[in-house]
Amino acid sequence: RAVSFAGVLAAHKITASSPDTDLPTVSGLRKMGVNFTVSNKDTVKSSDVLFLAVKPPIIPFILEEVGPDIEARHIVVSCAAGVTISSIEKKLSTFCPTPKVIRCMTNTPVIVREGATVYATGTHADVEDGKLLEQLMASVGFCTEVEEDLIDAVTGLSGSGPAYAFTALDALADGGVKMGLPRRLAVRLGAQALLGAAKMLLESEQHPGQLKDNVCSPGGATIHALHFLESGGFRSLLINAVEASCIRTRELQHLADQEKISPAAIKKTLLDKVKLESPSLSVASASKVSLFTNKSKKN
Amino acid sequence: AWPRVAMEAPELWVGFVGAGRMAGGLVRGLLQAGKVPASNILASAPSDKNLDAWRELGCRTTHCNLEVVHRSTLVFLATKPHILPGVLEEIRPAVGSHHIVVSLVAGVTIQTLQRLLPPWTKVLRIMPNLPCVVQAGAMVFSRGSNAGDEEAALLKSLLSSCGLCEEVPESYIDIHTGLSGSGVAYVYLFAEALAEGAVKMGMPGALASRIAAQTLLGAAKMLLETGEHPAKLRGDVCTPGGTTIYALHQLEKGALRATVMDAVEAATNRACDMAKD
Repeated sequence: RAVSFAGVLAAHKITASSPDTDLPTVSGLRKMGVNFTVSNKDTVKSSDVLFLAVKPPIIPFILEEVGPDIEARHIVVSCAAGVTISSIEKKLSTFCPTPKVIRCMTNTPVIVREGATVYATGTHADVEDGKLLEQLMASVGFCTEVEEDLIDAVTGLSGSGPAYAFTALDALADGGVKMGLPRRLAVRLGAQALLGAAKMLLESEQHPGQLKDNVCSPGGATIHALHFLESGGFRSLLINAVEASCIRTRELQHLADQEKISPAAIKKTLLDKVKLESPSLSVASASKVSLFTNKSKKN
Repeated sequence: AWPRVAMEAPELWVGFVGAGRMAGGLVRGLLQAGKVPASNILASAPSDKNLDAWRELGCRTTHCNLEVVHRSTLVFLATKPHILPGVLEEIRPAVGSHHIVVSLVAGVTIQTLQRLLPPWTKVLRIMPNLPCVVQAGAMVFSRGSNAGDEEAALLKSLLSSCGLCEEVPESYIDIHTGLSGSGVAYVYLFAEALAEGAVKMGMPGALASRIAAQTLLGAAKMLLETGEHPAKLRGDVCTPGGTTIYALHQLEKGALRATVMDAVEAATNRACDMAKD
């Protein structure tokens, strides 16, 4: 949706697949003019750049399913957290000798074209392939190339980052409400304050510490408030959060790498787990849910 | 702008009522600056204990406060707070409109000083800190009703040799106490803790202490000389995933920033309370 609105790619050049055609995301995509199919294979055949937008545990199964249809021209872009380039290349190499793989980490604000995206190119992906992806993702926010080993840190910071911001905004709004503001106004003002501050930082040469100082008049309201934040260990909490998210990403990746149980057993366990999980609004998890809830599943 | 008062000519006679550590620090700075010859400086104190050091510098000494006032134009009051009222009563008859009276006495406001001195007296109040004794002090001063630009400029010019010397509204003086007067003690505490950390990791104490002190000195020097924001300088030291950021995380976990803010606040509030007594 984001890429199409950005005008970088015409909607009819985009194909999306999901076995469940009743999802709200599906009708939304259709309205935009995106080609829709229930066949993952058809999606692969009609695409040059293939975004794998399923949840990480599903990736191995998707790769096995579409592997035979992957050709040398395809650029396979995985957005799945914790799934390494080498694991994807390994799976695809049984079908295609030199699969072009790019690993990508983005975040939800791509929806409003203010995403933060990083990508790392695989063994057989050329510079132009990376640049193509960069061009696409830059239309929906900031996009830059990184070494793959930094992607976990990026997950901790900007991948999970919006959640930290939403939490902060919820609390800020509570503060506003406590001091007498109507909720809607409090939310609006809080969000605008963070948006404005972020914009100032991005457009300024100055260090955030300096920008903070610029707001704090001596003995004023802001410095009193900041003292409370410091007393609560605000900074260390944020550092802890980024660290925890990064470490957890690595843990999940490590677990995924250990394929000790039989594929069939994994599939069954995942199936049950997936059914229990409540669907989120992202396209990625919607695909995940639909893959297994439709009884007339392709496989 | 140089004041009209003859500063570098031998005509400026400087007196100190009270000759303790702080006064000693200031006089060393004055002499270092070469603006006032030692023979033009007269200090009084009840006993000879402190005065020996002054004589060694070439200053004149006396046990008579009145003599200091009679023979000086610029008079520094450097007694202990509880002694001051008595001293002011004693010297009041000798204070004239040509005098410039500068009080170093902690917690005694300009209002109090002016109340206990003749109404025409040019009064200034200064709050130095301990490193004045090594000419690396931080001083702030405020002027009373009769002290003008000339007196302020004179004081600033004479004392800049002791370190940083800035004029401020009197309300900042208690804050300065919390920040820099007491602040040196916070730094000593931090230096001690740094060294202890090093000792824990296996370094001998004496070496650790010297390195800790040099680290603080060096960091402070960079701050002062580059004029950069401390946050920026901090960021410059932090290589991604490196030792410094790991250590800083520990400091943040300990809410060091808030604790330091609390300390400055506590000392400032205490200074305010004490001044009211």
